Amino acid sequence: MNRENRAIRIGNVLRADIRGFVVASRIPEPEVPTFGTFVRAPIQQGQSQLIGLVYNISLQDDPFLRHLAVTVEEDNPAHQEIIADQRERAIPIEISVVAIGYRDSHGYRYGLPPQPPMILKNITVCRTEEVKEITARPEWMRLLLENREVPADELIAHTIQRSAKLHAGEEQAYLLAAGRYLARQLVREPLRLETLLQRMAGGE
Amino acid sequence: MLQLAELKDEITALKQAAVARQRRREVETEDALKWLADAPDAPTLRQLVKQQGDPGEQYALPVMDDVPLTQRFQELEQPPRETTVVAVDGSQIRPDRHAAILYYLLQVGGMIFRYNGRAPSTQSKSTLHFKPSELYDKEGLLITGQLGQRRTVAELEYLAQLTAQARAAGAPTPLLALTDGPLLWPYSGRSEEENRQLLPAYFTAFSDLQQSDGMPVGFVERPGGRPLVNLLRLTRPSAGKAANSAAESSPDQLTDRELMAHFLQPGERSIWFKRDSPMNQQHTRAGHAIWFSYLNIGTEHWPVIARLETPAWAAQHAAWVKILQQVLLHQARVLHGHPYVLARAHELALVTHQDQAALNNLLQQQLVAAGVVTHVSVKAAQKAYLGRK
Repeated sequence: MNRENRAIRIGNVLRADIRGFVVASRIPEPEVPTFGTFVRAPIQQGQSQLIGLVYNISLQDDPFLRHLAVTVEEDNPAHQEIIADQRERAIPIEISVVAIGYRDSHGYRYGLPPQPPMILKNITVCRTEEVKEITARPEWMRLLLENREVPADELIAHTIQRSAKLHAGEEQAYLLAAGRYLARQLVREPLRLETLLQRMAGGE
Repeated sequence: MLQLAELKDEITALKQAAVARQRRREVETEDALKWLADAPDAPTLRQLVKQQGDPGEQYALPVMDDVPLTQRFQELEQPPRETTVVAVDGSQIRPDRHAAILYYLLQVGGMIFRYNGRAPSTQSKSTLHFKPSELYDKEGLLITGQLGQRRTVAELEYLAQLTAQARAAGAPTPLLALTDGPLLWPYSGRSEEENRQLLPAYFTAFSDLQQSDGMPVGFVERPGGRPLVNLLRLTRPSAGKAANSAAESSPDQLTDRELMAHFLQPGERSIWFKRDSPMNQQHTRAGHAIWFSYLNIGTEHWPVIARLETPAWAAQHAAWVKILQQVLLHQARVLHGHPYVLARAHELALVTHQDQAALNNLLQQQLVAAGVVTHVSVKAAQKAYLGRK
């Protein structure tokens, strides 16, 4: 099974509110999700799944690393195994996720979830097929556009570019629909719209 | 809640006692270093212990006849390429009668570190114990001290397993096998479980390590005890006499670690000693008598003394010991006096509070799904609430 189609668990919920949550994780570097990764968390005793986007990844202070940082030298042959080990070591990180909607028995809903995920709930990266379904309608951007506490425009532009590739053969139509949606939502913010469209097109 | 103001007098008394102890230790160190310099040869020292030793005391007996007590070994080279070090450590979740579910867990973590420029391999193993026969002793009481003994055995068995694995993967000799703590069985050896199950299993793990041509080493940082100081006391001119001369101290504060911190330069190792304790005699009968040596893995202004324990059959390979010293010095240098490989083994073995909470959640979910309702005691719930304050 390739990476896109297997369920990757990234960690447990550390703190949460209705708008998003933070995941504490100790996973090796290749497994760390990237900016804009879609993740899901069980809510309402597993009856629904909160859908969110990773918008921040912070490496936590690790006393072990702090200790090593002052003694280990990257170009010292005597430290090669230790540096290699630290690069593969499961590092403590915090992953911040912003909610964009949730899925219940009726399908995907783009709005605030009825409940945040509970503490220590396991968070999983969404599979490619799920991402394609979630992003099929441009409404997935609605909550992000209203959110001033996360780098929403960067997140939107980045996600549109990635999700467009999932809609093979309809890429242009997909981008056009996204652009039209943004134009309607940001009718009172023409400068913001322009910047966002430029980012979508790969500029700036 | 701690009322620090109420402890003011005791804190002052503690400070004064510490200052007095330090002054006394300085005098004792000076005397002990003189006795060390003037000590007779190994056969004479062993004879001295035999004739004048107090049966209730522990003595460090030098094991090699032709090596003086003052001999120090220095290793300046880096470990040879491809040298392999296996390290293990363990941790546990103790059985808690106030918890929702009664169980205990042992977890051992291990690392195989090979000097070849590549990342070491890491592994761990957890076992869950919940049967009444595992949780209660013969008197029907929840086990306490036995858990540490079982963990010690689990650690050495895992060390033997990983050593065999490294050997099968082509690790060269010497193949160093490190554990954090003493190798000499650190318990009384008097309980039925120890004699019937644990000690035989412990000695079997030693034999497995020997079979793999591994060198088991117990790394004891900040060692307690004073078997060498006790030996030196016997060499005093006034030893055995009722009163000591005023000019000579009778060390009752000084430990071997403090003496070695003044005797060994950074990177230096002492000679090998053995203890003639009943437990080491048991080890000897099993073919795994334990020898020990002191090593300074610190720096000029910050000596860090560790006691190394290894079976006699391994300590007698001078080439193995030479590489052991090189490896420990290299490993300790990056972590200011603690071998990197042991620190990582500890990290891999550690069961955090978060791990424990996740395990408890999972167990409770499984039980609830099966229709079994459990809950923590009222006392535990109250403590958890207060602990969050």
